[in-house]
Amino acid sequence: MTDTTTRGLIPLPLPAARALLLAGGIATAASAFLAWTWTSEFPGDLTISGYPGGLQWLTFIAGILSTLFALAAYGIRGLSGLIPARNNAPLVLTALGAFGVTWYTIVSIAAELGGLANLEPGGWVAAIASLLPVIGAFALPEPRTASAKENLKAYLAKPDGIPPAQPLSPWLERAIITIATIVGLAVFTYGIDTEYGELFVGFLIVVVFGVWALHTAGLNDRFSRIVARNRSFTLAMGFAAAIAFPFTQSNDHYANIGVNILIFGTVALGLNIVVGLAGLLDLGYVAFLGVGAYTAALVSGSEFSRFSGVHFPFWAAAITGAAASLVFGVLIGAPTLRLRGDYLAIVTLGFGEIFRISVNNMDGQSGPDLTNGPNGIPAIPDLNLLGFNLGQAHDVAGFTLGRFANYYLLMVLIMAIVVLVYTRAADSRIGRSWIAIREDETAATAMGINGFRVKLVAFALGATLAGLAGTVSAHVTYSVVPTPYQFAGSTPPNSAFLLAAVVLGGMGTVAGPILGAALLYLLPEKLVFLQDKSLLAFGIALILLMRFRPEGIIANRRNQLEFHETGQLDIPEQTTLSGEPAAVTKAGA
Amino acid sequence: MNTLPQQLANGLLLGSMYGLIAIGYTMVYGIVQLINFAHGEIFMTGAFGAFTVYFYLLPDGTSMAIAVPLMLIGGGIVAILIAVGAERFAYRPLRGAPRLAPLITAIGLSLALQEVVRNFYPHADRAVAFPGLDGTHDIGSVTIKDADIFLVVAAIVCMSALAFFVRKSRTGRAMQATAQDPDTAQLMGIDTNRIIVIAFAIGGFFAAVAAVAYGLKYGSIDYRMGFLMGLKAFTAAVLGGIGNIYGAMLGGLVLGVAETLASAYIDDIPGMHLFGGGSWKDVWAFCLLIIVLLVRPQGLLGERVADRA
Repeated sequence: MTDTTTRGLIPLPLPAARALLLAGGIATAASAFLAWTWTSEFPGDLTISGYPGGLQWLTFIAGILSTLFALAAYGIRGLSGLIPARNNAPLVLTALGAFGVTWYTIVSIAAELGGLANLEPGGWVAAIASLLPVIGAFALPEPRTASAKENLKAYLAKPDGIPPAQPLSPWLERAIITIATIVGLAVFTYGIDTEYGELFVGFLIVVVFGVWALHTAGLNDRFSRIVARNRSFTLAMGFAAAIAFPFTQSNDHYANIGVNILIFGTVALGLNIVVGLAGLLDLGYVAFLGVGAYTAALVSGSEFSRFSGVHFPFWAAAITGAAASLVFGVLIGAPTLRLRGDYLAIVTLGFGEIFRISVNNMDGQSGPDLTNGPNGIPAIPDLNLLGFNLGQAHDVAGFTLGRFANYYLLMVLIMAIVVLVYTRAADSRIGRSWIAIREDETAATAMGINGFRVKLVAFALGATLAGLAGTVSAHVTYSVVPTPYQFAGSTPPNSAFLLAAVVLGGMGTVAGPILGAALLYLLPEKLVFLQDKSLLAFGIALILLMRFRPEGIIANRRNQLEFHETGQLDIPEQTTLSGEPAAVTKAGA
Repeated sequence: MNTLPQQLANGLLLGSMYGLIAIGYTMVYGIVQLINFAHGEIFMTGAFGAFTVYFYLLPDGTSMAIAVPLMLIGGGIVAILIAVGAERFAYRPLRGAPRLAPLITAIGLSLALQEVVRNFYPHADRAVAFPGLDGTHDIGSVTIKDADIFLVVAAIVCMSALAFFVRKSRTGRAMQATAQDPDTAQLMGIDTNRIIVIAFAIGGFFAAVAAVAYGLKYGSIDYRMGFLMGLKAFTAAVLGGIGNIYGAMLGGLVLGVAETLASAYIDDIPGMHLFGGGSWKDVWAFCLLIIVLLVRPQGLLGERVADRA
């Protein structure tokens, strides 16, 4: 170690650091097979030697990941492809992931059972074993600067120039996408099926650090290149995975979570057209969902509906609900969209209030008799599609699909429609006008874009899609009541929830709002202590996200550049005919 | 009781409260073109600040003549601290960012402030009883409460002081210059950051005055009170012409009167008998906002076209 500018934070020779990483990773994975505590009072039963339970599986997986990356850093043939970026960050992150999940488990055992005495020797072994790779990781050499913050950042950094991958055969690329989809489905299913809060927290720790490690290793970049070459295949695989989800569920409760995630994800995607593409802040979006839901409930044939004799078939109800939302969207949008965007925010907020007050009052006492006031419209009959009653369980190919699984599959169809509308609109002439308007309205108008008309189309389209999703959600929940359709409330989907989902996931992307909605729905669902504080968390998250990562988890590249004002937007991105960004711009810019 | 003069008086009283809150929106908007959605929550924290002074700091049985000024100071300090803190730590780092960013921050701040009060202020998950000033006076056929007198006096004093400050003082003229053109103002040696902080602070203090008046008038406060009041006050600011401080007061008065008259008399219109009463009054206020934006988007006193980019 003669070079003083590149050395580890912890003074250890490089071979020792690597050996610590490898040995620690293996030891962590192995320690999952020991007994960590003496009583099965801690959920997951961590008492049996030789058979891991609950959180121990997560420690095992994190240990294996850490080991794999440590081996790849040794340059073992066949594994070196794991770190195309040739950096230390994936090692640090997987080590931290394994450490995080193990210590989280140990600390929660001690905290919940009352003291460290409840740990078996195996627990201590795991704690020490998972600490070793962390020490090793921070002993890896990195360039040193004067500031401690920069030194730490260097351990998590992803280098800019990642050497391009060798071209793979199309079949191999598709096989990689298929495997990635299956792994993704397995991870997602595991997350939804977690039975207790501790397991979900552990799951989140492993997933966050794992994905982050893959990202810094440069694997995400490689994978998105492959996806860019096989776009329709990936989309098909994505929907195949979405359809496969209910077949993996034995319990309809989890299918219920799935259908809720799909509903909120679809609505968030609709909001993303308005917020993410056109840059219009719509704070009353959930009211359009409510309009769709109430319309569908009124024509559903429920005996509590004002028009109880009317029973539309589903396609007619869906069109009616979407059309009603469209009418309201145009009514609200037409006067306000001529003005600056800020007015739209406040008028939509006002519209949300008008909707809430109206549905609460229209009970025949303090207003016209239409919505039954706070009681809502209960007893909405189940849908019947092509002679297929969605309310009953059906056996398909040996699997039993319950009520929620049926609706889940219907929602997959609706979401496919919304994704299709979203991507086709975003790539069209009007989608480009939306982005132009979002980035500079004056310049866009000067280029001949009719700002008002284009914005109205975005706003109305968003409203229509929300109305469409609302028609299904009315049937899924049996009844429509006013509470979910307000600006901020404890039950999703309120407008604050949807906005937070879009911003957290990533404005202007397809996957972002769906991921955001899934996360924001699952977190309070799994972590009971968060339920009361979820709105507080949304608020703080919005402030922090805008301050530190306005582009969200999944960044839209154009958004990212605009938010961070790097000046790179001025340089036209060089693309080849296949739509693959040329490597030169990245390194050169 | 429900005579036209009484309704007009009620409307004007409600309107002066809207006007006081609207000042905060309109001053901030005039200078940095930002809708501070969290202003309604600053109003709410002002109410809780005043309540804290009354309930936790003052000895029991303090005369209201002493308590009210101290509550004004307490509420004012809390509201100003939160308003200035929001500017410093949430909005200032985003100056120059795309327009959407500060708007989303403002929404987040509004949610966070509500939830902080609900979760961490003792017993704030329900309505909190605020000391009221309930003595009544009859002037002709109109009955008003002591709290109403406080509100009217406070509104007149605040507005006159603000008008004097903006027109005559050095800082006030610097404020006008910054509102007209921040870059040029900065070149002329004006510390625009300081001006912005002062605008937030004045808005926060006026909101706290309105909050004390609200508590004294209605006798109870709760963590959600800022949402609707903020929305209405913003409507008032738009109605009067956003960016114009006289417009904010005028807009507040017009909105207050319109809302009160609508809830009192709209059910006399044939076919509208089901839309009367207090439960629909907010709907009429927002309909008024939409109509104003349709017919006269620059507001009653606004000179500038509202869609200046």
